[in-house]
Amino acid sequence: MNVLISTLTIGLILSLLAFGVYISFRIFNFPDITTEGSITLGAAVAAALILHGSENPSWFTTPWAATLLGGLAGGVAGVATGVLHTRFKIHGLLSGILVMTALYSINLRVMGQSNLSLNDVPTIFSGPQFLAEQLHPAPADGGVNQLPFAGWNLFVNDLAALAFTLLLIAAVGAALYFFFRTNLGTAMRATGDNAQMIRALGSNTNAMLVWGLGLSNALIALAGAIFAQYQKFADVQMGFGMVVLGLASVIIGEALVRSRDLVLTIIGSVMGSLLFRLLVAIALQWGLNPNDLKLITAGFVFIALVLPGFVSKLGKRKVGGLQHA
Amino acid sequence: MLRITNATKTFHPGTPNEVLALQGVDLHLEPGDFLIVIGTNGSGKSTLQNSVAGTFMLDSGRIRLNGHDITRWPEHKRARLIGRVFQNPFSGTAPNMTIAENLALAARRGKPRGLGWALNRETRDRFREQVRALNMGLEDRIDNEIGTLSGGQRQALTLLMASFVKPNLLLLDEHTAALDPKTADQVIHLTKQVVERDRLTTLMVTHSMQQAVHLGNRLIMMHKGRVIHDIRDDEKKRMRVEGLLDRFEEVRRVEALDLPAAELLKAAYI
Repeated sequence: MNVLISTLTIGLILSLLAFGVYISFRIFNFPDITTEGSITLGAAVAAALILHGSENPSWFTTPWAATLLGGLAGGVAGVATGVLHTRFKIHGLLSGILVMTALYSINLRVMGQSNLSLNDVPTIFSGPQFLAEQLHPAPADGGVNQLPFAGWNLFVNDLAALAFTLLLIAAVGAALYFFFRTNLGTAMRATGDNAQMIRALGSNTNAMLVWGLGLSNALIALAGAIFAQYQKFADVQMGFGMVVLGLASVIIGEALVRSRDLVLTIIGSVMGSLLFRLLVAIALQWGLNPNDLKLITAGFVFIALVLPGFVSKLGKRKVGGLQHA
Repeated sequence: MLRITNATKTFHPGTPNEVLALQGVDLHLEPGDFLIVIGTNGSGKSTLQNSVAGTFMLDSGRIRLNGHDITRWPEHKRARLIGRVFQNPFSGTAPNMTIAENLALAARRGKPRGLGWALNRETRDRFREQVRALNMGLEDRIDNEIGTLSGGQRQALTLLMASFVKPNLLLLDEHTAALDPKTADQVIHLTKQVVERDRLTTLMVTHSMQQAVHLGNRLIMMHKGRVIHDIRDDEKKRMRVEGLLDRFEEVRRVEALDLPAAELLKAAYI
């Protein structure tokens, strides 16, 4: 049960990644792989700032500020990709690859080494966990603080992290929803839907794409910053495979809600991310070799991308056959 | 209102595919002019329109609109002054967004797009009334995605959107060419209504001789990147389809002869 709770928490944190991938791939129809660098960048910036603060505390080394600055750094990376593509006319995929590659070195610079441990420093989960301790104090003998529930003993710390993450994702999801209902957000959606039309209505589609990629990568870096604090370390390799992972979440979400309605697609991204995490956890419990995980994820996304076209082709053939008969 | 001076444009210069699309076009429209542009295929009529819209920049020449020199303005900046309807019904609307959302986008053409709500009760009511005026039964479907509408309905909406914020210039690029005759008539009727109501300065490219004769107060015929006929006011009113076809025939005859011979004949007979 405690495994389930931590699985759900990670799923929720990574739904920020799904939001970001949804914005670049679905709203802007732009295959942005800056993701792999920006998720690590968010983690690196947040971790480095928090660790810096353990010796030189300042306003920007508090966990909250460090997390937001991590997200901001990701936003800058996204803007860089957008500028490479729009201003310098570099192919979209290549723009992302360039920034992602550059970020690998930048992330090493930011961290100073290939991984940073966040044990024994405050994180954004410290506050909620402190609050939970107040509500349900740890046993006096210094044992693990557990809450008996329906026959399970749940770790209070994990429950606090889950509840906090849930609130956070709900807030970010709502903010995204409202943003995409504003004049600016609506114009951004139109940029991906019909760029010619929105240009003829006076919007600079290049600027839209640049800011959109900034927003997307800010969310992705935010996911990285929070994820690093949850697992208590940041690693320069942690971004590897994250585009496909985010895409898998988005695709599962779309299959679940089957709608282009804005609220449903945002909720779908969260559900997709959760479901994907659960499937991974189950597969690992069954004895799946973790090394095979990326292969299986890639295979899954391949099938999800190809299947709809294949099914409709099959359907047409059947209709054709009937007409002949 | 619109003043084009000595506009030239060559596509793929220096290659075997070189096209001299515009070869020194001068054109001046007064406020409220409704100009019809006709011409053979490849005559440069669409190039002329796209160069005004800012789809590409001219090689040389100037474009002034409403007192602004827009020659170097990017497309989205020109959209502050220009409303457009495209030939392809899919081009003018966002298919995966609702009618109301599309109209909300059009309602802010040329205005800053900030963090205000795109739609609220008041704007929705206004949009519904304006859609009702199209007489296409769309007023109950303003929350449906545009992708579910027919080509004619989309063109009607695009026309509404182009004129939502009154443009200094309305560009219509063969906007009925992809529609069936009945729908095309409907859209033309609507076009007339919109242009007359707001006294819009309009530049309309068309293939239809019927439309060319019945619409507008001025007509130009283009050929090989030049304006070869400019017919105005009373002469335009007297113009009949046969008369226009004769002029096309004339172009074709000249075309059949080689160029020096044509010059000789012209000198001798005209």
